[in-house]
Amino acid sequence: MESAIKIEGLTKEYLNRTTGKMVRAVDDLHLEVYRGEIFGFLGPNGAGKTTTIKMLLGLIFPTKGDAWIFGKPIGDVGVKRQIAYLPESPYFYEYLTGRQVLDFYARLFGIPASERKKKVDALLDTVGLSRDGDKTLRNYSKGMLQRIGIAQALINDPELLFMDEPTSGLDPMARIEIRDLIIRLKQQGKTVFLSSHQLLEVELICDRVSILNRGKLLKAGKLDELLPSGRVEIVAENVSDDGVIAKIRDAGGIVQRQDGRIVVQQPDDASVNRVVDIIRSANGTIRSLIPQRRTLEELFVSTIEEVEKK
Amino acid sequence: MTAVTAIAYNTVREALSRRVVLLFLFGALVLIILSPLFSFLSPREELTLLKSLGLGVIQLASMFICIVMGISLIPAEIERRTIYTVLSKPVQRYEFVLGKFLGGILTMLFNILFMGIVFFAVVAWRATPKQALDLWKGFMMIFFQMSILVSLAIFFSVFLTPFVNFFMSLGVYIVGTLSSVTESLMKGENRTVIQKGIGAVLHYLLPQFGNFNIQNKIIHPETRIINEGVYYIQNIGYAILYIAVLLIIAVIIFDRREV
Repeated sequence: MESAIKIEGLTKEYLNRTTGKMVRAVDDLHLEVYRGEIFGFLGPNGAGKTTTIKMLLGLIFPTKGDAWIFGKPIGDVGVKRQIAYLPESPYFYEYLTGRQVLDFYARLFGIPASERKKKVDALLDTVGLSRDGDKTLRNYSKGMLQRIGIAQALINDPELLFMDEPTSGLDPMARIEIRDLIIRLKQQGKTVFLSSHQLLEVELICDRVSILNRGKLLKAGKLDELLPSGRVEIVAENVSDDGVIAKIRDAGGIVQRQDGRIVVQQPDDASVNRVVDIIRSANGTIRSLIPQRRTLEELFVSTIEEVEKK
Repeated sequence: MTAVTAIAYNTVREALSRRVVLLFLFGALVLIILSPLFSFLSPREELTLLKSLGLGVIQLASMFICIVMGISLIPAEIERRTIYTVLSKPVQRYEFVLGKFLGGILTMLFNILFMGIVFFAVVAWRATPKQALDLWKGFMMIFFQMSILVSLAIFFSVFLTPFVNFFMSLGVYIVGTLSSVTESLMKGENRTVIQKGIGAVLHYLLPQFGNFNIQNKIIHPETRIINEGVYYIQNIGYAILYIAVLLIIAVIIFDRREV
């Protein structure tokens, strides 16, 4: 697969002015993000996520290591034509209207005036701000500012988007809209580098994720690999005979009785058919059979806790 | 260049929406408009007094607008993080600095022109055509003087806090205005070597703002500048060169600065 971002040994050290000691915000980070995927970049506050993004954008400079975006070294101005950045809690020129601020960003790309107007109108429409385009940004709510932030990030029709907490401050409906927008971007072949605390959201839309803590990469991979399925939950009715339940337990199932039903937790795929056969041979009715997998939240918490204990 | 012009345009728009800038501009305009009322102080030399007062007000208001605006042109973008969305676009850091500078001097041009036109309207009907024309030469020199001051404030802003920058820019402006003093310190006969050295450093290193003050010639038309055309060309050339050097150093520092 063609890589959109390649990071090799990226390290960032800061001098903590109060303690006079060097602090390692990002520590020997190796990562590869492929073209066309939504990549979740996770980590608790202070993990080094924003520092990494800022290094990739050339806003701050690495102490050690290298990184490339579409094969070009970070800081290359040419590659910035293909990328976009939505900062966390974006701040804009509050004396400008939504329309003016988008026009300003379009000018930075040298988009001609005739095209600019159409583009700005279309983007205001995309982010649901058509009716508020002529209000100054000082009169925008946090959610509206976030939407303008997304619109400015799309002004150049980028190939790669860096999104730092894109749904922060948004109401549930707006979150769903942004999530759908990110999925649409992927469908258009764009790459999204998504830094977020919304783990459910990340789990729903990301192809691969990485977990960062204290500047170190702890885990990275496809969600299916990081969150393996195995446990299966079977809900059945008309199974009350103790002998049948004992057989299910012998097959490895953990059985609970609930309102005339039984809920069986099977620890692995292999014994599921045996349990189903036991239930059916006892004239029981299978109501549902759902493969359960560990949630990203569980993985995130256990990964961070594991490291913190060490 | 599109990025430079976009940043410059945005800078002008921002500067002209700042209350503190409008306050200085408004205050200066009120003083200029009311200046004829002060003619009772010197009834025989009403025109001299008007010119003296008007030019002084324009220069002082321009200087304050220039410093207050100049010290925050770049730091404000960093502080409120708007610089992230600008430098993550295909904008070189030198384009950003240049855009800010151009926006700064365009704002000054607008302010000086606005005050100048009002002042001209107050004075012109009392003056001869030559005296009226001289006023515009004075406005032009104030503009170039302020252009140096904008570049100086931008230069300091890439490594100093706005608070320190305010006093540095103001201090350099005051010392630079006294170029005759630094020159006498440098050349005076009964000076020590150290005094002469300090005088020379101050005289050659700091911008010679004093050379742009031609108010005396405008207020007293009987005084003349020898080789007037050459004088203007030399000083405008000096301003352009000084600005270029300051901006180049500012870009070199800003290029290495993390935002």
